Amino acid sequence: MKESLLDIICCPLDKHDLDLAVEDREDGEILAGTLTCTDCGETYPIEDGIPNLLPPDMREDAPA
Amino acid sequence: MTDLAERRGAETTVYQPAEDSGLLAEAAIAEATGRVLEVGTGSGWVAERIATADDSADVEVVASDVNPHACRQARERGLDVVRGSLLDPFRDGVFDTVAFNPPYLPTDPDNEWDDWMETALSGGRTGRELIEPFLDDVGRVLTPGGCVLLLVSSLTGYEAVIDRVEAAGFSHEVVREESYPFETLSILRLTQR
Repeated sequence: MKESLLDIICCPLDKHDLDLAVEDREDGEILAGTLTCTDCGETYPIEDGIPNLLPPDMREDAPA
Repeated sequence: MTDLAERRGAETTVYQPAEDSGLLAEAAIAEATGRVLEVGTGSGWVAERIATADDSADVEVVASDVNPHACRQARERGLDVVRGSLLDPFRDGVFDTVAFNPPYLPTDPDNEWDDWMETALSGGRTGRELIEPFLDDVGRVLTPGGCVLLLVSSLTGYEAVIDRVEAAGFSHEVVREESYPFETLSILRLTQR
């Protein structure tokens, strides 16, 4: 993901801002890292360049 | 193509472009402006068409899906992708255009597959179980003057969708309409009243 995406995404639970922690960056894209809600503290992973902003109870890979 | 079993075919993970995708892409290329979100992007085909259209210089496209396989396919097209449920992970007032080809086929809850294709196609018992929460929340993420491009099938209950559109505070115009043997597809352009 591009860092500019932070301007449009938010915590899906409470709509507060997200803090970015970068683990792997390539060509200006964040490939791995975490997004942490500045209010509730919930952490969302960034994997293969895709932020996973599903709430924790929807995060598993199998559909409901 | 009348029901889920026929439509899902051999594909079990990611919805691939079909007639509905083509109609939405055509409408979106004509109507989309500014920052564009495609909700439920699936393979990412529609979002890519919008991003690469001839006059796309002024559009910036973001694609989202709940399905991780879809997110990966969309990202392989070079799109900015967010995994999330409907509009939940997006801030207020950030999109000039939101496009959505929803899962809309009415489905008997006793006859479900519990796989990602069902997530892509099934709108629950009424066909409107994703459309309704989408309409209830989409006004929040729009910029003032922003618009929604929503695909509606006659199978979903056109009038029932219109009622919900109006209840959510939108006025609508039909910008594309196409009839197929088993359904009529319309693209509604919604603006806040």
